[in-house]
Amino acid sequence: MRKLQLLGLAFLVSLAAGCATGPKFNTVESGLAPLAAGKSRIFIYRPSSLGAGITPDIRLNGTVVGTAVSYGVFFVDRDPGNMEVITGSEVDRKLTFTTEAGDTRYVRLAVGLGVLVYRIIPELVDAAEARKEMADLAFTGK
Amino acid sequence: MSRVRAVSAALLLAVAACASEVYRRDAVLSTPPATAPARIEIVKEAYLQLPAGYGRTLPQGSVWELRGALPEGAVYRRVGGIFTVEGAQVHEAYLVIAANQLVGFYLPVEKAYAPYSPVALNIK
Repeated sequence: MRKLQLLGLAFLVSLAAGCATGPKFNTVESGLAPLAAGKSRIFIYRPSSLGAGITPDIRLNGTVVGTAVSYGVFFVDRDPGNMEVITGSEVDRKLTFTTEAGDTRYVRLAVGLGVLVYRIIPELVDAAEARKEMADLAFTGK
Repeated sequence: MSRVRAVSAALLLAVAACASEVYRRDAVLSTPPATAPARIEIVKEAYLQLPAGYGRTLPQGSVWELRGALPEGAVYRRVGGIFTVEGAQVHEAYLVIAANQLVGFYLPVEKAYAPYSPVALNIK
């Protein structure tokens, strides 16, 4: 029985270890740097604790821009153009989209069951839906 | 209930591991004909079943802006929203419309045309 309790505790600790820490997004949003002229902004967030121990890198156009941490949100500003988001979990899963100057786009990192482990799947989300999901997440950006 | 939804979503996402790529071929956007409306609006919601098994909705009231033309039809990008098609990967997509019918999708990043079984749209 005691072993079972310890196992349960270890599981909870491992879950917590995979979760983002930081101020809630809705408390820092008003202080974020405004988008510079001619740029586009891409928010990337993971609203679920499912598979929290799996935290792959997130690549935007081949460059690592962050880590897929549960309950975390951050953003990057980029020149407008073609965007390719890849998460390097069990199987690479790719999202492609375009941005134009002044655009803000929202990428949700969903979690799916892979063959062996959870898979992190990037999805493009409408602004209204994304902003609702992001409000209580931990802001992990700078 | 939310747990059931979360598990259902995870199971659906698991299917993605087996989904095929969105079938497409290279395409080059050209200048649209002057007769093509600069903006269209979906008057009645339309549900689309994509070949890989995923569903998509063209929401009532959504507005789409003319971005070019392909031999298959005029190409429209969603205004103030997003639209994607999905197979093994997820791609932003524009609608390709001819004679008030959706005939396919233009994938702007891949510069490709993905045909779709024509479906009549209620647009204005």
